[in-house]
Amino acid sequence: MGFILFLALFADLLSPFAYDRVYFDRVLLMPFDHPEHPLGTDEVGRDYLSRLIYGARTSMMVSLSVQLIALAIGLPIGALAGYFGGAFDFVISRIIDIMTAFPALLFTILIISVLGGGMLTIIVALSITSWIVIARITRAQILTLREQEYCTAARGIGASEWRILFRHLLPNAMSPILIAVSLGIPTAIFAEAGLSFLGLGVNDPIASWGKMVGASNAYVRVYWHLALLPTLAIALTMLGFSFLGDGLRDALDPKQKIRV
Amino acid sequence: MLGYICGRILALMMILLAVSVIVFSLMHSVPGGPFDERKGRLPPAAKANILKKYGLDQPVWKQYINYMSHAVRFDFGIPYQRPHTTVAKLIGKSWAITVQVGLTTIVVAFGFGILAGIYAAYHQNSWVDTLVTFVSSLGVTVPNFVVAMWLILIFAVSLDWLPMGGWGSSGQCLIDKYFCTDWILPVVAYAIAPMAIVARYTRASIVEVMGEDYVRTARAKGLSEVKVMRKHVFRNAQIPMVTALGTEIPNLITGSIFIESTFRINGLGKYFVTSTLNRDYPMIMATFLLVAFLWGILYLLTDIAYTMIDPRVRLGAKSLS
Repeated sequence: MGFILFLALFADLLSPFAYDRVYFDRVLLMPFDHPEHPLGTDEVGRDYLSRLIYGARTSMMVSLSVQLIALAIGLPIGALAGYFGGAFDFVISRIIDIMTAFPALLFTILIISVLGGGMLTIIVALSITSWIVIARITRAQILTLREQEYCTAARGIGASEWRILFRHLLPNAMSPILIAVSLGIPTAIFAEAGLSFLGLGVNDPIASWGKMVGASNAYVRVYWHLALLPTLAIALTMLGFSFLGDGLRDALDPKQKIRV
Repeated sequence: MLGYICGRILALMMILLAVSVIVFSLMHSVPGGPFDERKGRLPPAAKANILKKYGLDQPVWKQYINYMSHAVRFDFGIPYQRPHTTVAKLIGKSWAITVQVGLTTIVVAFGFGILAGIYAAYHQNSWVDTLVTFVSSLGVTVPNFVVAMWLILIFAVSLDWLPMGGWGSSGQCLIDKYFCTDWILPVVAYAIAPMAIVARYTRASIVEVMGEDYVRTARAKGLSEVKVMRKHVFRNAQIPMVTALGTEIPNLITGSIFIESTFRINGLGKYFVTSTLNRDYPMIMATFLLVAFLWGILYLLTDIAYTMIDPRVRLGAKSLS
């Protein structure tokens, strides 16, 4: 997993070719066929190893920025709704109800169909559906912590509402939120790969593992490496990040039972 | 109970209304539409005529009211991509296939999932248990289109045992056009994730119940192992299993977009993708309403199923959180 992040960060230095460099005379090479292309080339003659490395960058960029945006939106909204209640809480709760009334994936596809494809649109669309999760967890946390004794004590010595919220409640609410964020990363990786697989994701010529799997579908009978390599990349990355999330959960929240 | 169900149905109606407003306004809030001139120029008169035919020349709120007044009578209009049929017919036809995929998958996933879970719980820490745990953590994490690709690579490409795609067109079927050889790969690829979840749930809940005092009492008074399992363990382990059912079935019924597109199955999911690519408003709208409706109904049914399995559950009582 650290390896994937490393690939994503240093994609420019590591890949032997540019991700969009086309060799028309070297189309659909099998791995090890050509000394310069150890993993072969794709259907328009781009070096497959380089595209896999740049795919890591796409995947990481989308998933990490989506989770950061979701945290930046969901945390304050959930905290305010949970702490102050009232009309704001009512509105936020109804929005959460409506957004959970149908599959998030369909909603993401709807937004992409409205805004058109591209990496920025995917980040926007996935953020719109992911902040809900963070807001819901933050709200629930703040709701239970609000009634704790130390909160009453802080109020008793005259701490302001904002001080209680930011200095006393939020730090205590952080661990489930962080767990949700880390478990959200593989979800976002899956969403980006899946959307690109369907042809709704990043535009050409940007490399994306999901898009590479989708494109390989037509050639899979002969050029099996086109399908195998990106699917392995997706599977390994998602496994890595979900183990990270699980490990974080076990470390931060030992009381919580295994949740499927 | 009746009052509670009525309340839930009312809430579902409100959510459907909200979903329809959101989807409708989203689709109409941005410039561009199915008849914009990206793909070719139209004479202005022809364009005005087309817009008029589909009612796109009127203000958005009027279009919405017009649409909804027809939608409550199950008239969802004409899909832009196929003007010779209606949305209701197209959805009916493609959804029939999606339901076949979904139902077969549910039977396979729950059948094998529950069996594996029971076996793993009963033989804790055996190699079967380890295998079930390993496969289920893999199945939960790895996306189904990735699993589908691997299955295609193994069974269709290198072994050449099964067809690569299609649904009911391989010619080798059990009954007429059902249960064909080309059903196997999509169903297996689709079933692995829910199977993993069901197996985990089943295992966890049975292990928990087996540690209870009343199970030990049942054993102590000399009941046979089969009776202990059937009368004491399973009945109490059902609740978490129904929870898994309740959250997985709506997901499965509404169709896996990825499975349908990997195996080239002409189901609802595939039409949903082509509709979004072509901005086919009537199709998108109808699909959304259908899916939201199904989700709501199925979640309600799950909650009702709770009260049947566990009489301690009281619906409608104020929850604590």
